This record gives sequence, structure tokens and C-alpha cells, in this order.
Amino acid sequence: MINRKITILGPEGTNLYILLQFMLFSVISWFTLFSSIESIEFETSNILSRQIAFSLIGLIVFFLTTYLSIDNLYNLINSLFFLSVSVLLGLLFTTPILGVRRWYDLEPVGLPIFIQPSEFSKIILVLFIAKMLSQNSYKLIALSGVLINLFLIFIQPDLGTTILLLIVTSLMFFISDIKFRTAVLGLLVLFLSFFMLLEFNFLGDYQISRITDFFSGEDFSQRQSRLSISSGGLFGTYFTESQITEVFVPVQTTDFIFSLFTRNFGFFGGLALLSLWVLFFFRVNRIINRTKIDFEKYLLAGLLILLGVQILINLFTILGFIPLTGIPFPLLSLGGSSIFSTAIIFGLINRVFIENNIVV
Amino acid sequence: MFNQKRLKYTFLAFSILLAFVLIDIFQLQTREFESTSQIIEQQNLDKFYITAPRGEIFDSDGVKIAETTLEPHLFLNMRKINNQNSSEYRQVIQYNFPELATKEINEIFESKDILQSVINLSSVEYEVRNNLISNFDGFLIIDLPIRKYIKNELFAHTIGYLGVPNKDEFIEFQNALGNNQVGKNGIERYYEEYLSGIPGELIFSGSEIVDSKQPIPGNDLFLSINSLTQLVTKESLQEGINLANKSFESQNEIKRGAAVVLEIETGNIISMVSLPDFDPNKFVSGISDFEYKQLDRDQAFNNFAIQGLYPPGSVFKVVAYWLALSENIFPEGLNNKDSKVDCVGSLSFGFDDGSQQVYNDWKPEGHGKVDLTDAIKQSCNVYFWDIALNIWRNFGNTEGESILQEYSKELGFSEKTNVDLPFEKVGIIPDRDLFEEWKITRPGLVREEGWLGGDLMNLIIGQGAITTTPLQVANAYRTLLTGENLSPTLNKNAEKITNNKINISDEFTSFLLKDLNTVTNKGGTAYVSFSILGNKANDIGGKTGTAQNAGNKNNTSWFVGVDSISNPKYIIATVVDEGGSGSAVAAPVSRRIIQHLLEYEITPVEFGEITE
Repeated sequence: MINRKITILGPEGTNLYILLQFMLFSVISWFTLFSSIESIEFETSNILSRQIAFSLIGLIVFFLTTYLSIDNLYNLINSLFFLSVSVLLGLLFTTPILGVRRWYDLEPVGLPIFIQPSEFSKIILVLFIAKMLSQNSYKLIALSGVLINLFLIFIQPDLGTTILLLIVTSLMFFISDIKFRTAVLGLLVLFLSFFMLLEFNFLGDYQISRITDFFSGEDFSQRQSRLSISSGGLFGTYFTESQITEVFVPVQTTDFIFSLFTRNFGFFGGLALLSLWVLFFFRVNRIINRTKIDFEKYLLAGLLILLGVQILINLFTILGFIPLTGIPFPLLSLGGSSIFSTAIIFGLINRVFIENNIVV
Repeated sequence: MFNQKRLKYTFLAFSILLAFVLIDIFQLQTREFESTSQIIEQQNLDKFYITAPRGEIFDSDGVKIAETTLEPHLFLNMRKINNQNSSEYRQVIQYNFPELATKEINEIFESKDILQSVINLSSVEYEVRNNLISNFDGFLIIDLPIRKYIKNELFAHTIGYLGVPNKDEFIEFQNALGNNQVGKNGIERYYEEYLSGIPGELIFSGSEIVDSKQPIPGNDLFLSINSLTQLVTKESLQEGINLANKSFESQNEIKRGAAVVLEIETGNIISMVSLPDFDPNKFVSGISDFEYKQLDRDQAFNNFAIQGLYPPGSVFKVVAYWLALSENIFPEGLNNKDSKVDCVGSLSFGFDDGSQQVYNDWKPEGHGKVDLTDAIKQSCNVYFWDIALNIWRNFGNTEGESILQEYSKELGFSEKTNVDLPFEKVGIIPDRDLFEEWKITRPGLVREEGWLGGDLMNLIIGQGAITTTPLQVANAYRTLLTGENLSPTLNKNAEKITNNKINISDEFTSFLLKDLNTVTNKGGTAYVSFSILGNKANDIGGKTGTAQNAGNKNNTSWFVGVDSISNPKYIIATVVDEGGSGSAVAAPVSRRIIQHLLEYEITPVEFGEITE
């Protein structure tokens, strides 16, 4: 373990590139939201000021995460996982909001916010699997822990997150030295049981209708979202007076924000944003090659897979390739829980960079 | 072992999927760009707004005084009505709702809206509702909020009422358009944004609803006002008005007045009444033109507690009282509050310009030897005129001549109290500058010579060009007792705003309270009005005021009371417009309110004594 001096910006040697990326993505989000509101008035109801506040708190979360050394983190993982599963379990005893048990309402303790624990349990799951894989022993008890975690999210019900985590889990096992045969078998069992649960109608009606809507090719918001993207043209409408009337897209500031972004900044804007993410992946991948510690490799790879699959599922959704999932675009979508969890991911990556002495 | 190669494959797969995405976006934004524009042009998405349930309003005991109930309404989707089916729908409506007149039904079918409200279904049986919407595609049911003011007239001026927004209000209040209603007055207007809620939306593509957003209810509001105190205040004021009508020959019927109860410690308004009043529920169900005009003629829509501008008369003398003690300015020749002048019922005096005048006190035989305490107790004008003369002779025509006006402004006169109500008026504290201005803008009102010593002498006893609102007066007394000029508030949870602080000593406060106490006791102007309380009046205080009005108007009757001298909790300010002597009418009104506040037996408002 490396002992470093603690400064205001976290332990000495915060990676400037990671910090810069985080801030750049936040500012892009502000600009995108700015275009969706008519007036700037700093009220709590104003989505822009809320997002700016979330981003700034996110920055603090980022630095706080950085303080946690990888060794300490490694030792904490089992307790964190146990905590995360208990919190998810606790959701079963809450009253449903909009027909699902997905949030803790903090109103009774005086905070006017909802907390979505699955946003944070995603990261803890990745940590847990990374630890399990680096120990090179697949204990039955650990494996069933992962399955219980997935099942608890599935019955909220939160189909989108369940599929996301199924894919992430599978890919993390795939990059370990698991035998190809075992991998395929495991996947088969997982997806079979998943569809069997679907058959048993564990899902709320609205999710069924999301799926049936999709197969009949009738989802309104996805159709509108495609129109919105298309109306951006190559260069977008942000800097030019648009000839085309605005397109109405439901929840355009949250899940569908990428369609708003590409309408504003066009194809080249979209290309630039996605390139920034690709660059980020390359940068982190270099450290995966460099570090000698297996846990760090699994951790970084797992976090990248988590981010990558989220982005792809989000893009697939807004383009109508797959049914509505409710997965936000990291750092671009409006919403506190999503920003904070992404801030934690960036913080964790930053810490690995620090411990490998990579500053820029 | 970590398998680097498989990670590479994973990222390769990511890249391929990302490439698909980019290719699709590229195609959308280039090849399909033109056709998209056309689709969007033809899309014609329309929004229909659903009014959000407004926040409810509660009094200090948590009793609901304005409520919102959601009631189901039948709507007709006009885009599904065509020549073929319109007669069928018309028949269905006629058959099920015979109470609708043919004219009303015609209006429904002439509507240009997407959805047209047909009728409130709350009293219609469930089966009938179900039948309508399951058999007829063009019907739908939407819950609409209905506002009800539970106490009817009692809170007419404080709570206000709702109405259809006008052009300015669409711009000022962001939810006004969707809710199609806005607070027009009172709390409903001041807290419009807080109460209104965010309207829901139905998105139509053609005749079909393609998306919807639920309305978000507004926030509930808790007032410091107490329903019971409000009721007692209103009854007392009404009794006072009736009494004045009975006792005086007046050219006009006396019907206007206002009363305010202010909590001293917090600046909370415990009750606020203005008469005549009206039933705000009538604005919900629609008020007839005749009725509106009638109420408007009586000025029933004015909240006289914050919009009535009255010369304060002798209740204003506390300003000079404070000035005298802080600046040590007493009648000429005196240098402390206990020295006396001899009041012979009139004051003759001369100015530098050689003019000689005689001012007559309200008591022709005079008050005899009076000090500052006696001057408040008996409301002796001569004593205060002497102070004004002293100011005029020392400071007249210099920088310092407006010292009385400055003291008035410290107490909040001629300024907004910034109470949480709209359309508050500020009143006037006249001085040389104002008179100079009026010479140009309102030449009929002021003399050619401008501001003179006599104007200052009028001002010091609250007469002449000075005007104040009842709330200003109550708040000024509150300021004198606490040293802090706070904005009074109706919202229990409102943040307290300090307008300014004044420098007063505990000694001053106890002097003032003791002297106010003499007014309601033997020898004081309000003694008769409070005598029914017997010994209990020993702890009560106040100040009477009788302000002369121009023309044939009867005098304005004032009383400002303090519920207790040993433990002052409330200021009670009462005005009866054209109510005559303050000690005869306004004082017994306040007395009845104080009886309630102190939980004594309440006795009717009875004629006091004509003094000033």
C-alpha cells in the first residue's frame, strides 16, 4: 500500500485526465439541458440548477471515493455486498411508488429525495465479482450471493437493470480464465431461468406492455426520439436557427437525453461525445495492461464493462433497437443517483491510477 | 487468471455495436433528414392541460380553511366527433344528463378545444359513468380539482379567491396557463407559485392520446391566523359598525372598517378582518354581474387592513412620545417628561413671519396641568402642539426640520410593511418635499406657501395630509415595544424579514406600556369602554384616536390596544371608517377582542364615551 499525503484534491496525485473527463461530461450535460429550458432562473425546480448541484456534489463524491485505498476497499467488499443485498431486501417492505418498489423515500426523515439503491448496488456487485474472480475460487456461497442480488432487482421489478447486470456479470466471468464450455453453460442456465421467471409473470403489467408495445412496433417515445435525432442533421440546431419545429420526446432530459444532445449538436456532436468515451476506455485499458495485481485488473475491466454496457443499452433504447429499459446515459442524463454512482466509478478508477503512480 | 485476450474481444464487440449505432445515427441525420422534417411538420402534436390540485390552507390550529377536492368530470374528445356520430353523442348526453339545457349542449358541440368538459360526474352513479366510457370512444373521465373556502366570508380578504388568468398573469405565473386559474387576491395570489401545483398534460396525436403526464399537487400552506379569533374579531367589528350607525347621524351608511391582531413576539397576524366582505366561493361557481357590481360599489373587495388609507389621529401621538423621550424635546421651557404645561383648551401662538393663530383642543375647558403621561392618557393636543412648535422654532427651515417624519419612517409609516399579501398600500407622511411636489402635481391640495409650521402641528396629532393603514399602525406599535420593525406575516412558516431596527431602552418600553395603561383606566379616554372589565382592565393598555376627515365625512374611529401590560402578547388595531370618536366605538370593539384573547367572558360592544 502506498502512503500518500492527503491534499484538498484527495490523496496526492489525483489523475488530471480522469478529473477532466468527469468535469467535461458534466458541462456537456449542462449545455444540453440548457437548451431544453427557456429561462434560467435559479430555483430548485429548475432542472439545470438541479443538475449543476448534482454534478458539484458528484465531484465531492469523486474525491471522497479517492481517499479509500484499494487494500481497504478489498477488505470492505464482503461487508459492502452484504449491506447492499440487505438494502435491496428492505425495499420489499416499502410501499410501491408508481407500481414498483425501487426507491427509498427519504421524505419521512426530512429529505425531499428518493434514493434508488440499485444504482449503487451495481458497483458493489462489480467489486464483489472482481474479488471473487481474483481469488480464483468460485465458492458456491459467493455465486449464489450474486444470483440473489440479481433476483432482488428483478422482482422490484426493474427489468432494465436486471438485464444490464446479467450481461455485466456474464462478461466479467468471460474475461476470467473460466472454461469456454462452463461459460456457455452458465449463460444458458441464466437466460433460461430469466425467461422462465418472465413467463411466471413476475413483472408488473407496465413492463409487459413495454415489451408487447415494442414487438408491435408502436412505442411512441422511441419513434419520437428517432425523429428528434434525425432533425439534428450533421451539425445540430444549437448554433443555428432551426427550421424544424421541436419534436416532443417524453422524458427527454433523463433516459432520452442523447436524442436531445444529437438534435442540438448533430452527428458530429454525437461522434465527438462517443469518441471521448472511447478515449477514456483506451486510457483505462492501458492501466489494466500495466498493473500486476489481478484484483485491480478485474476491477477496472468490470467498471469499464458496466459503463460500456450502460451506454450501449441506452443508445440501443433511444434508437428503438430494443424495448424501453430505463437505463440512463452516464453523466449526461438528469438525475442525482446516476451521477453519484458514476462519480464513485470514476473515483475508484482514479484510486487505481494513483496507486500505480499515474498522474496525468 | 485474468484473460487479457478475452477482454480485447469484449471491447471489440463493444466497438462493433457502437459502430452500428453511429451508422444508424448518421443515416438518420443525413439520408432521412428531409423526410423527417416533413413528418415533424405534419405531426401536429397537441397538448391538453389538466388543472393541478391546489395546495390546501390551514389555520394556526390546523383547521382546514381552503380545501381542494378532486371531482370526476366527463369530457368529450372533439376530434372523435364527426358528422356521422355527433347526433348519437348528442342524444346520449341529453338522455343521461337532462339537467343540461339545449343551449349548453350546443356550446359543447361548438367547442374548438381538443377536449370539452361536459359535466361534473361526482353525483352520477358509477355504473352510468362506466357505461359511458366503455361504450363510447369519444368520452373520457378526468378528475378536476374544485376549490372550496370552508369558512365562506370569514377569510375573504386574507385568503382571496381564484379566477381565470389574464394576459399579464399568464406571463407572471408559469403554471397559470395550464391550470387555467390563478390567485387573484390575498394569500391565493401572494403564494400562487407555492400553492398552484404543476398541471398535468395529455399529448394528442390526432384524436389519440399518445402520452400523458400526471398533475403534481401544490403545497399546503399553514397560516398563523386563528379561525376563532378571526370570528370574534369580525363579530366585534360588525357590532361596532352597527353601533356607530345607531348612534350617529351620518350622511352615508357606515359600513366600512378593519381590525388586525398582531402577535408581538413574532409579528404573526392572528386575525385580520375587513368589512364589508364577500363569499369567495361565489367566484368558484360564478358570480352574477349584478352581485359583483353591488359588492364593488360597497368596496367589499378592498382589504381595508392593508389598503384602507386613514389619517391616524391621536394613535399617531406615540411617535411624538418616542421622539420626545429619545431627543429630549418637550414643550418649550420643559426638559423632562414629568414637567407640566397648563392646558387651557386652546393654544395661541405666533410664527417668525408674524402670523398669529389659535388652535383649539378637543376639550374646550382644557385638561389642566399635564405632563407627557397625562397627554397620552387624556389625548391632550395642546401638549403635542407645543412639542411641534418647539421642533419648528428650533429646526424649521433647516436640515433637521423633518425629525418627526424620520421617526415615523423608522416605525414603518409611508412604507410597505411587506406583509405577505398583494396590493398593499403605503400611505403618506407629508413633509416639505412632498408639498413642493404637490404644488406641481396636485395644486388644489396645498397652499401657495408650501410646508408651514401648522402642517407640522397637524402631523404630530395624526391629522392633515397623513394617511396610514391599520396594519401599519399595529406594526408601528409592535416596533416600539420590541425595537425591531419586522414584516408581519400570515404564513406561519414564512421567513421573518427585519425591515429595520430602532434604538429603544427597556426603560422606554416600560414607560410606554405604563402610559398606555392609563388610557384604559380611570381618567383615561378609553376608561368608560373598558370599565366593564373592572379590575381586569388594570393590566390592559391602548390609545384612542379620532381623525377628522375632509368634507361631510364623519370622523374616523381608531383604537390600538395591548392585551397586557405585564406580559404583552398582542397588538389589536381597530378602525371604523366614519365611526366617530375612537373612545366611543373603536375602543369597545377592541375591548371585546381583548376579552376573547385573554379568555374572559365576552360582552357585547357598547357605546363608550365621546372624547376627542
